[in-house]
Amino acid sequence: MIHMNGIVKRFGEQTVLSGVTFEVKEREIFGLLGPSGAGKTTIINILTKQLNADGGSHGTGADMLETGLMLDADGLYGRLNCLDNLNLFADVYGIPRSKSLEALKNVGLTDAAKKAVNELSNGMRQRLSLARAILHEPKVLFLDEPTSGLDPATAKGIHTLILGLRDNGATVFLTTHNMDEAIKLCDHIGLLHKGKIIEEGVPADICERHNSFKTVPDLEAVFINLTGVELE
Amino acid sequence: MRIIKAIFIKQAKDMFKNPMVLVMFIIFPVVALMMTKLVTVEDLPPNMFVTMMAAIFAGMGLISSATGVIAEDIEQKSLRFLMIAGVKPYQYLFGTIGFYLLAGAVASVLFALIGDFTGTETLKFLAVMISGTAASILLGAAIGLLSKNQKTATSLSMPVAMIVGFTPMIATFNETVEKAAGVLYTQQINVIVNDFSAGLWKPLLVIACNIAVFIVIFVAAYKKKGIKLS
Repeated sequence: MIHMNGIVKRFGEQTVLSGVTFEVKEREIFGLLGPSGAGKTTIINILTKQLNADGGSHGTGADMLETGLMLDADGLYGRLNCLDNLNLFADVYGIPRSKSLEALKNVGLTDAAKKAVNELSNGMRQRLSLARAILHEPKVLFLDEPTSGLDPATAKGIHTLILGLRDNGATVFLTTHNMDEAIKLCDHIGLLHKGKIIEEGVPADICERHNSFKTVPDLEAVFINLTGVELE
Repeated sequence: MRIIKAIFIKQAKDMFKNPMVLVMFIIFPVVALMMTKLVTVEDLPPNMFVTMMAAIFAGMGLISSATGVIAEDIEQKSLRFLMIAGVKPYQYLFGTIGFYLLAGAVASVLFALIGDFTGTETLKFLAVMISGTAASILLGAAIGLLSKNQKTATSLSMPVAMIVGFTPMIATFNETVEKAAGVLYTQQINVIVNDFSAGLWKPLLVIACNIAVFIVIFVAAYKKKGIKLS
C-alpha cells in the first residue's frame, strides 16, 4: 500500500535521504524509527506531498482526502475551541458535524469540547490533533511522533486508539524514537539512520536476527549494535 | 462553495475571539462617534472625523488585519492542514477575503450612521468604502503572503498601512499632500464626503486603478511565495 522506492532527498548540498526503500502492507502499523535528524519527518512530508523527492518513486494507495495526518506542528486554531476546530474540517471534508463529537469522544476530549485550544495541555492538544487526523475515517494515517512528550497514561491511551484504528481497517505509518512504543504498537518497523533504512521487518524477528532477544525484545540494543549511536 | 463557506465561518468565529483584529473594527467607528459628538470647533469640514477615521480604518485597520490573519495561518501551519484536507488556495483566499469584505462593509455602515448621511449619500459613501475595503484586503493579503511570519508581516504592513491610512488626514490640512493623495484610494473617502453632489465615477475610477495595481502585486506575491504544499 504505502511504498517508497529508492527515494533521494537533498536540502542544498546535504543529502538527507539516500535510496530509501520500504513497503507497508494494508491494515498494518508501520513504525519508522530513528534518532532526531535521521529523516523520519522528511519521509512523512514526501509521502504526504508536502515535499518533492529528488529521486525515486513513492505512493500511499490513498488520495489526500483518504489520508489523516498528525504532525509535530499541530496547526490547530488556538483561539477556537476543540469542537470548532474539528467542525471546520468536518465542513471541509463534507461530513456531518456529529463526527466531530465522535472524534472528540474517541480521544477522550468530550469534556473539553468547548475549551479554547490555547487553554489545553500539551497532551490534550496532541489528542485533539489525533482527533482531527481520524475525523474523516481515513484509510491511511500518518503520525509523526504521536506520543512525544506525553505522560505514560496519555501515551497509553493513544496507543490503544492507534491499535483500534488498525483493527478497524486503517493503515498506520508512525515515526518514533521510542523503541518500547515500536515494540508494543508496530507490526512492522524500519530503522532509519543517516537517511538510509538499515534494518526492516517484524520487531521480534529483528531482535532475534541481532541476538537482542533476551527476556524481552530489545530494539535499542539492535540499533546501537548497527549504528554505534544511542537513540535519545 | 461548501469549502469557501467553511473558511468564511472559521474566520468569523476567529475574529470575534481575536481582540487584536476585533478592536480594529470597533475602535475607529467609536472614535469617530466620540469626536463627532464631543469636538465642537467651528469651521471644521463637515463630518471631518467620520472621513478621517473611515480612511484610517479602510487603510490601516483592514490592511493590518488581512496581513495578520494570513501570516498567522501560514506561520502556525494551519493553512498546511487545510490544504492537505483538500482546500484549494483560491478557496482559502475567497473565504478569508470574503469575510473581511463583509466585516468592512458592516463597519462602513456604522460610519455612515455616525455621519448621519442621507440615503443617496450613504449609498455613495458605501460604494467608495466597500471598494476601498476590497483594495485594502488585497494589499494586506499580498503582504501576508510575502511574510515569513507574523513579526515580518507587522513590520511590512505597518508602514504601508500608516501611509495609506493617514495620508487623507494630512491632506485635510495640506494642499500639496492633498494633490498627491488624489491617486490614493483612501483619499477618495475624503473626496466623496466633502462633496456628495459630485459624480461618483471619478473616485471609483481611482479606486479601480488602485485595485488593479494591488491585483498585480497580489498575483506577483502569490507566484513568488504562493500557498502550496511542496
